[in-house]
Amino acid sequence: MQTTRRGFLKATGLAFATSLAYGLTNQSEAFALDADPEWKLVNTEEYTSICCYCSGGCGSLCSARDGELISVEGDPDHPINQGGLCAKGASMFQLRNVVDEKTRKVIPNPNRVTRPRVRKPGASAWEEISWDEAIASIARRVKDTRDTTFVEMDQGVIANRCDGMASLGGSQQHSEEEYGIVKIMRTLGIVALDNQARV
Amino acid sequence: MTNHWCDLQNADVFLTCGSNNVENHPISSKWVQKALDKGATWIVVDPRYTRSAACADIYSPIRAGTDIAFYGGMFNYIIQNNLMQTEYVVNYTNASYLIDPDFNFDVDTGLFSGWDEAKKSYTTTTWGYQTAEVVEPNTATGGPFAWTTAEGVPEFTPPANKVPKKDPTLEDPQCVFQVFKKHYERYDIDTVCAICGMDKETLELVYKTYCATGAPDKSGSIMYALGQTQHHYGAQNTRALSLVQLLLGNVGLAGGGVNALRGEPNVQGATDMAMLVFDFPGYMKWPTVQKYPDLRTWMEVETASDGYYTNKPKFFISALKEWFGENATVENDFGYDWLPKIGSDADLSIISTFDHMDTGRVKGYWLWGQNPASSAPNTKFAREAMSKLEWMVCVDCVETETASFWKAPDLDPATIDTEVYLLPAALIFEKPGTVVNSGRWLQWRYQVVEPYDQAKSDLDICDLLWKEIVGLYQAEGGANPEPILNMKWDYYIDGKIDARAIAQALNGYTVEDKNLLTTFGDLKADGSTSCALWIYAGYYANNDAPLDPAQQRVGARGTEDKGNLGLYQDWAYAWPLNRRIVYNRASADAEGKPWNEERMLVKWTGEKWESNDVPDFVASTKASDGTVTPVPPNNKAFFMNWEQNARLMISSMDMPTPEHYEPFESPTQNVLNGRQNSPCIRFTEHKSVQQGSKEEYPIAVTTYSVVEHWQTGSQTRSCPVLVEAMPSQFVEISEELAQEKGIENGDEVRVFNNRGSVVLNAFVTCRLKPLMVNGETVHQAGMVHHWGWAGEISTGDMVNDLAPNVGDPNCFIPEYKAFLIDIEKI
Amino acid sequence: MTDVAILYDSSRCSACKGCQSACKCWNGLPSPLEKNAVSCTGSYQSPPELNGDTRLLIRFDEAAGGSKGVEWAFNRRSCMHCVNPGCVAVCPSGALHVDAETGFVAVSAEKCVGCKYCASACPFGVPQHYGPEKTINKCTGCLDRVEQGRAPACVKTCQPGALKFGDREEMLAIAHERVALLKAKGYDKAVVYGENELDGLHVIMVEKYGLDAAGLPENPQINQVVDILGLMKPLTGIGAAAIVAGLGLSFLTGIGYKRDTLHYDEAAHDVVDMDTGEIVRHIDVESEE
Repeated sequence: MQTTRRGFLKATGLAFATSLAYGLTNQSEAFALDADPEWKLVNTEEYTSICCYCSGGCGSLCSARDGELISVEGDPDHPINQGGLCAKGASMFQLRNVVDEKTRKVIPNPNRVTRPRVRKPGASAWEEISWDEAIASIARRVKDTRDTTFVEMDQGVIANRCDGMASLGGSQQHSEEEYGIVKIMRTLGIVALDNQARV
Repeated sequence: MTNHWCDLQNADVFLTCGSNNVENHPISSKWVQKALDKGATWIVVDPRYTRSAACADIYSPIRAGTDIAFYGGMFNYIIQNNLMQTEYVVNYTNASYLIDPDFNFDVDTGLFSGWDEAKKSYTTTTWGYQTAEVVEPNTATGGPFAWTTAEGVPEFTPPANKVPKKDPTLEDPQCVFQVFKKHYERYDIDTVCAICGMDKETLELVYKTYCATGAPDKSGSIMYALGQTQHHYGAQNTRALSLVQLLLGNVGLAGGGVNALRGEPNVQGATDMAMLVFDFPGYMKWPTVQKYPDLRTWMEVETASDGYYTNKPKFFISALKEWFGENATVENDFGYDWLPKIGSDADLSIISTFDHMDTGRVKGYWLWGQNPASSAPNTKFAREAMSKLEWMVCVDCVETETASFWKAPDLDPATIDTEVYLLPAALIFEKPGTVVNSGRWLQWRYQVVEPYDQAKSDLDICDLLWKEIVGLYQAEGGANPEPILNMKWDYYIDGKIDARAIAQALNGYTVEDKNLLTTFGDLKADGSTSCALWIYAGYYANNDAPLDPAQQRVGARGTEDKGNLGLYQDWAYAWPLNRRIVYNRASADAEGKPWNEERMLVKWTGEKWESNDVPDFVASTKASDGTVTPVPPNNKAFFMNWEQNARLMISSMDMPTPEHYEPFESPTQNVLNGRQNSPCIRFTEHKSVQQGSKEEYPIAVTTYSVVEHWQTGSQTRSCPVLVEAMPSQFVEISEELAQEKGIENGDEVRVFNNRGSVVLNAFVTCRLKPLMVNGETVHQAGMVHHWGWAGEISTGDMVNDLAPNVGDPNCFIPEYKAFLIDIEKI
Repeated sequence: MTDVAILYDSSRCSACKGCQSACKCWNGLPSPLEKNAVSCTGSYQSPPELNGDTRLLIRFDEAAGGSKGVEWAFNRRSCMHCVNPGCVAVCPSGALHVDAETGFVAVSAEKCVGCKYCASACPFGVPQHYGPEKTINKCTGCLDRVEQGRAPACVKTCQPGALKFGDREEMLAIAHERVALLKAKGYDKAVVYGENELDGLHVIMVEKYGLDAAGLPENPQINQVVDILGLMKPLTGIGAAAIVAGLGLSFLTGIGYKRDTLHYDEAAHDVVDMDTGEIVRHIDVESEE
């Protein structure tokens, strides 16, 4: 098993491998262990990722400790960005966690939505709902709309489409997710399908 | 990008036109700097003096929306000054092909031959080639269509090949080159300067510097983005710059290429995956009622008569096989009828979708990480249309303007009956999967931490919804449930939905033994192979470790650089077939000798091909006994076209060759022909468009992004360090316009037109200058567009309220980059 | 280790602010979270200046002129890590000291007594202070990273290669070569900064459009107070409290050379911020004595 991916990171604790949160692959098993307990990345697990902004595909190193993200910086082995990241890439950490001005402590990003919400007709505020409720009521909505707007034949041709729904987006998901989205949307009969390619 | 980021280091000259590459694609700065260190020259042409302009060697302002005039002038300059890479053009493009004698362009009307005023479109028969001979499809063993006779392949008639007439001397007045040359004689330097508002001396310097890359051993790279595409002739802008690259012999070379700097982390993936109305995954056509009523017709229309797309049905049928699994059989046309067919009664892209909401046709709206209440043109109309929806489902990590459209300052939530669901999405480091960059590199992201609180990945959300919907149809029936009940959704590993299972489906495998395929060359049209996306074949093909992305090509981390050209062949996987520079056959001459030995991609030794990149042509053939025979050099450098040559002129778009028209809202008249806008412009008639005139709104404006923010700002306005680095949106105006309007730097101003009015801060700057356009002074302003009412950290007015909801006929892209406004101090 | 330096080459910089962003993210520095708390500066430069939470800033300066019509100068504004730092000379508590390995001006913020003498001594206006204790905030050279074999966060993240980190002599050689190239390209004002200024800096800069556009003093001088306060230097080993006791009320209150912004209320023994009226420190006179 490969224990270090980068020369200057010394893997000093093989036993640590067993604690890998996801047991993913040899690639994620690079450690930044060091004797210095003050070191920000002491006892972190390091995973490679790709920046979430423009289409540069810059590599990043994400360090996590005890299941929490500690740091994100450029992947020095990555041939495209060679460790660099722009202002946006360098701040990806803040999408999840930010530093509170008053306490200087790391807190979850307050702008993030982390629970399903519904806004009912005529309402002026959100209501929090459970995932089960959300999925059940969306599925019901979808079925009602599909069943009432379905076009089975058009000009003598089998059309099997649903004119009552449209779908937009998909450039931020993983390719595998994009396929899942396209497959579901198209199978429901949606033809008004578009994404960020134009805007 | 035909090339890729690391390849920028190989360029001799850069032209940044229609992008602001160091701001919006900052990684480009690393590789451009490496090229500059080797002596390259960098030109920036942009309405504003951007941060890219600050880094470049040469800068010229341009009036937004006049790129075709600029490039048309460059075609003329290249031809008049004998700067064309003639050997390249003769061999690898259709310059020598003779076109129909009835082809014509009428300068007075601004129309090409074949215009149908009733249909508002062209009949393009006169744009086609003269035929030398018709070759019937060869279905014999060894012929390109031998596979069509195999058992299990649906019956269809492959097309005959109409071999065009040619004149390799390029002297025949009907040859593409002569017609092209004549067309652009009107685009002389003085005319171009007058239209574009450019200084003659600077324009000549730009042309001279860039066109020097017509020397066979030189490479020029054009970097473009939305500045080029977001016009109602955006596709033609892109064609225009591609034609420059063909005339100068820059396509297919290291350091060359047509480089679209794509704006979203996986918009390349979304395009590959065909999250677009008319596309089927892998750049094929989605079925329509009129053109493709059944599978046989689809195959007959879409199969090319020559070149690599003679194989297209193999990719399509393998994709159908993946879609419906064992339910797809040759007897039921592999489930073709279950796919929804696009009708002919409605436009369906993003702009017109809002009209369908407004009229009640569209009742439910899915949003997957996109925010049209902020990013759509004429957003005021978009949000009013949304308020007529019955329901909306937004999957996002923050509350976007779309999720909260009912909170828009000008709407009353009490009157809006839309039920809106906001489902919290996981962030990139909270889920695994593949992302495809602008250079077509597929790279794996590993999951680092669990989604925060109750957030879920889009894939998990898809799975929950799909199981629920299928359950309802199984229990209750409903409008034709067959497509739903026959669709294959089996992407589970250890009982959980898993991206790795979909990766295998995308990569493709043999149906019988689930053997992952290393190349799309192994796909069959008989249902024996399953492959969701043929161009990804090989990215996830290691049968020894199907559950470990790190042992798949998508996770490859080899840093060796064979050839020292930055190709990094062993890092990740570039579709197709790990090819880093597409059209690389054109990097060598007709005999296979590289134009520049130091930048060798492929090379014919006299006996075989040597290469640093995966050849993008038929380099060898493999007999049924496995014998490999090298194929000596020929001129088929663009073998994805049926001609196997690149097209200087084309018959399948809205214009056979790019012609200048003015933006929908323009500060001047079109002086190149008698028509103001492209005749094929879309959506202008809609009531919401409310075209403004230059008399009412004299200031030309363009919109853009800054490096500190991204798109609608939903993510970057969530990051306090970015908000601090660029806290609010602004309009940039020249010192001259500021003086006219009594505006000081930093003042709050109102920017308005018929569609909307926004308040923002003015940046008064020498980086914008009034332009002299067709004899009159034109003021040009610029606005960033990253703000809206949503968010807990930074909010602002909606700049896209002002953009016109009109667009391009090819791809329906809206015209965000050039319209009219006025401005006043508050 | 020989002296190291950070090289900033403004002619490669694209002002993407990656360094500004990475500095904050690595060092855990906050930015305002309150809605619309940050005002428009009328410029791409934001925040307008270094502050208690901002150690590094990209500076913008634009003027008409030059072959391209505009000279838009970018500069990196942060600690220069002087070879003979005035701030260290005056620091009574040992909060600032020269790192023996690198020559960088290191920070031990927990030792800071908030006297702000460093701010007065610095010719570049770099040291800033934050929080009720007015604790020092300035670039640390990311010594934590350097010790682990990593470049400072700003250097590591720089995409165009405008920032480099290494042996000071090597950085100087690169800088001189670059300036020669820029001059050959017609950038007549291009200049190297940091070689000899103040006996040398550990941040070497290539300024494409000269010092004025970069906002740098041509002949920086350390505030004369350093000569006087330098006498106190031997006392630093005794510990902050003892020094403060020995130096009288001026030091005790932490007002120092900030008398224009801080006021000592002798009756209440409070140090009051003149701008905000906020009590920034209460002096417990008896216990100090």
